[in-house]
Amino acid sequence: MTRVLVADDSETILLLMRTRLELAGYEVDTAADGQEVTERWDEGRPGELPDLLLLDAMMPRKSGLDALRELRAAGVDTPALIVSAHQDATDADAPRDLEISGYLTKPIDFDRLLDSIAELTGS
Amino acid sequence: MSPSLANRLRIGFAIGFAVLTAMAVIGVARFIQQRQDFEDAIARSYQVEMAARVRVARGGADAAQAAVASQQIRRDELRDQISSDTRDTALLVAAGLVAGLTGALLLFSGLIASMRQPLEELVDAAGRLAGGDRSARVEVGGLSETATLGAAFNEMADELQREASQRDRLDRLKDEFVLTASHELRSPLTSVQGFAELLMLERDSLTPKQVETVEIILDNCRHLVRLLNDLLDLARSDAGRLGISPVPTALAPLIDDAVRTMRAQTDVSGQALTQRIEPDLPEVNAEGARIRQILVNLLTNAHEYSPEGASIEVAARVADAEVEIVVTDDGPGIPESQLQHIFERFVRGDAGLTQRVGGTGLGLAIAKSLVELHGGTIAVESTPGVGSAFSFRLPVARAAGAAAGAAETGR
Repeated sequence: MTRVLVADDSETILLLMRTRLELAGYEVDTAADGQEVTERWDEGRPGELPDLLLLDAMMPRKSGLDALRELRAAGVDTPALIVSAHQDATDADAPRDLEISGYLTKPIDFDRLLDSIAELTGS
Repeated sequence: MSPSLANRLRIGFAIGFAVLTAMAVIGVARFIQQRQDFEDAIARSYQVEMAARVRVARGGADAAQAAVASQQIRRDELRDQISSDTRDTALLVAAGLVAGLTGALLLFSGLIASMRQPLEELVDAAGRLAGGDRSARVEVGGLSETATLGAAFNEMADELQREASQRDRLDRLKDEFVLTASHELRSPLTSVQGFAELLMLERDSLTPKQVETVEIILDNCRHLVRLLNDLLDLARSDAGRLGISPVPTALAPLIDDAVRTMRAQTDVSGQALTQRIEPDLPEVNAEGARIRQILVNLLTNAHEYSPEGASIEVAARVADAEVEIVVTDDGPGIPESQLQHIFERFVRGDAGLTQRVGGTGLGLAIAKSLVELHGGTIAVESTPGVGSAFSFRLPVARAAGAAAGAAETGR
């Protein structure tokens, strides 16, 4: 089953994401900030690593972008979608070297999100 | 303490007056003295001559004759002398007057020059201050009057600068507040909308009443999103951060797209939505997403303010070096009194209508900002009971190279 790791500092949003994604047939893992995201790799259990990252751009402790930067530096090439609260976040604003697969704005358009996930994970 | 103009003038006048008076007194005294000496000499000469004539009358010698003649010559000489002396004295007095007046003139022109420089500097600084250069100040010095004026000017400029920077700070705080608020409101809004959508996924197990309730929640979520987006756009526009990256853009696909987006809503209201685009419309220098935003804004207004079954049209045509896009409706129109404020924030049409219509009152203000960012203009014409026409003009893109260059520098 395709595993998606969702990171957001709001528990409500995590619950919403988990519910919608599980309804669509994905296995969902959640993280409260970027630190928890990078720790998944530190713990080093390859079988449990996600197939896709869904990261909030702004989180306390470590942002989604910072976490992604560390992962990319460590050679992790898992596709990543960034959720931003800025209405006009576009590819132009983003660091090119992070290989970000797409941007979503809040409130989340779930039809678009599910399309993107299906496309990126080939499911 | 700087010397004052008044004191300098006072001293100048006193010295000048004293010099001129002294010259006049010396001149007159000398004239009187010379005249006196002359008259005494003439009188003596007559006495000598009379004595000589007495000697001649007594049958005096030739020597007496000669004395008479010599006294006549002597008096002629004295007369020549006095007229020459008088002329010299007059010349002396005249020279003194001229010297005094010249001195006074020099003093005055010196004083005027010493006032002119600081005054010119003051005029220059006032001009720069009025032109927005908040750092404009003058050198304080010279005469005490201009020094006082300069110090007062600098104090005023300091005060203006303090107020302006205070205002800038408040503006920045306001912009930051709007940005942060709009950012922070999005997370809870995402949850509300997301969970309401979740409920709608299971609408089959909901009662019609519950479905209606959830639809109201979703409608309001969309309204809140629009409000947040509009507020954010306005805050950015105020902060000068609503940048655009214009490139040569074809309008027809944008109009098509906006019309397609609106069609679902106008169909529900039984409104006829048509487009009339002039063939071979030139490209405009614009950012597509922003033009689409303007079009959707204007079309949304036309849709929301017009009754069911109304006609709405988007037309585009060339007008001089611009392309004019007009959104026309045959809705209720806008009263004259509201027309002139229609592009201001939170100004909305008729109160009865706006209760039904769910707009934010920011759409037209944003449309205006966006059109002006593109170097264009926006206008409205409306007749109550007949309809409204909102039109905006965008400059035609010049040759590809030039437009690309403009887009580069516009960044």
